Amino acid sequence: MTMDYVTALKILVIGESGVGKSSIILAFTTGDYNASFPATIGVDYKCKVMDVNGLKVKLGIWDTAGQERYRTLTNSFYRDAHGAILVYDVSEPKTLQKLNEWVEELQVYSTKKNIVCLVVGNKIDKPRAVSREAGQAFAQKHRMLFIESSAKTQEGINLAFEELVQKIIETPGLWESTGSSSNIRISNDERRQQEESSCYDYSCSI
Amino acid sequence: MEDVLDEVVSSEDLQKFEKIFHEQLHQGNITPKAQFEYAWCLVRSKYPTDIRKGILLLKELFNSHSEGKRDYLFYLAIGNARIKEYNKALHYVKSFLEIEPANQQVLALEHQINKRMEKEGLMGMAVAGGAVLAIGGLVGLGIALASKKK
Ligand SMILES: Nc1nc2c(ncn2[C@@H]2O[C@H](COP(=O)(O)OP(=O)(O)OP(=O)(O)O)[C@@H](O)[C@H]2O)c(=O)[nH]1
Ligand SMILES: [Mg+2]
Repeated sequence: MTMDYVTALKILVIGESGVGKSSIILAFTTGDYNASFPATIGVDYKCKVMDVNGLKVKLGIWDTAGQERYRTLTNSFYRDAHGAILVYDVSEPKTLQKLNEWVEELQVYSTKKNIVCLVVGNKIDKPRAVSREAGQAFAQKHRMLFIESSAKTQEGINLAFEELVQKIIETPGLWESTGSSSNIRISNDERRQQEESSCYDYSCSI
Repeated sequence: MEDVLDEVVSSEDLQKFEKIFHEQLHQGNITPKAQFEYAWCLVRSKYPTDIRKGILLLKELFNSHSEGKRDYLFYLAIGNARIKEYNKALHYVKSFLEIEPANQQVLALEHQINKRMEKEGLMGMAVAGGAVLAIGGLVGLGIALASKKK
C-alpha cells in the first residue's frame, strides 16, 4: 500500500491560557476564526496534510490546555514531538514572561533532542504591548524560530507552520519517512478520509 | 489520536498521580487538584474498574467543587463512554452543550459516542431482536400451556 504522504510529524502547541493556541490551529486547519473560543479541555488533536517542497507531510497537531489545572497533566503529551510552537500574546506582556516556564517544561519532557521550536507572538491585530524585538530576543536566547501572527486576520499563520515544518524536514535524524517506519499505522478508514486533502477533525492518527 | 476515546493514559502518569492522591488520603486532606489529576488518569485507563473509580471521583468533585465543572463533565462523558455507558455519556455531553452549545471538542466527542453506538448498536439490535423472538416464543408457549390447563 503506498502512502500519500512521506512522513507524519507530531507538533505540540503550548503557552498560557487565552494566548490563541487553539485559534491559531483553527486558522491553519480551516481558515476560520471564532471571537469567543472556549478554553481547551485537556488536550485536543487536529490533523492536516501539508505540502513542503513538493512533499506531502502529515501534521498531527496537539493543542494543549494552558489552564493551570492541566499544567502537570499535559506534559506527558510532549513525548516524541518533532516540533513545538510556543505561543504568547503581544498585547499581554506577562504571557511572554510566562513562556520561560513552558520552555523549561519542554526541556524536561520532550524526548527528541533536536526538536524544532518556534515562538509565536499572536494577536498582532490588537494594540501591542510587547515589541517585536522583545519577542525576537526571547526566541534567539533559546535558539528558537520566531514569527508574529494574528489568528483573527490570518496574518503569519501559514508561514508559521511552513517555517517550522521546513526546519524539521531539514533537520537530519529528527524524522523518519513513513515507508520505513513501523510505528505509524494507516487504516483503510483513514486513507479514505485523507483523499480529501486535509483531515482536520478526528479522522487521523499518528 | 483519531478518537479521544482511544487515548490511553501512560502507566507512569497513573502511578504518579495515584501516589499523590494516596498520600493526601492518608493525611486526611485531599485537594480538588490531586483528586482531579488522579481521576483524569483513571478515566483514561485500560481497565474498567479504574474508569469506574475515576467516574466516582469526578462525580464527587462535580458536586462539591464549583470551579472546573466543565472539565468534570467532559471527563465524566469520556469515562462513561469508555465503559460503554453511552446513554450516561450522552447525558453529560448534553449538560455540557447546554452551557457551551458550540464547543467543538464536545461536539466531536458526541460524534464519536454516536459512532460507537451505531457500530455496536447494530449488534445490540440483533441480540435484542433475537431475545424478543425468544421471549415471544416463551410467552406464546406459556399462553398455550395456560389455555391447555383450562
Ligand atoms: N484579537 C485577537 N483575538 C484572538 C486572536 N487569537 C485568539 N484570539 C481570541 O483569544 C481568545 C482565546 O483564544 P484561544 O485560541 O482559545 O486561546 P488558547 O491559547 O487556546 O487558550 P487555552 O485553550 O485556554 O489554553 C479567543 O476568544 C480568541 O477569539 C488574535 O489573533 N487576535
Ligand atoms: Mg485552546
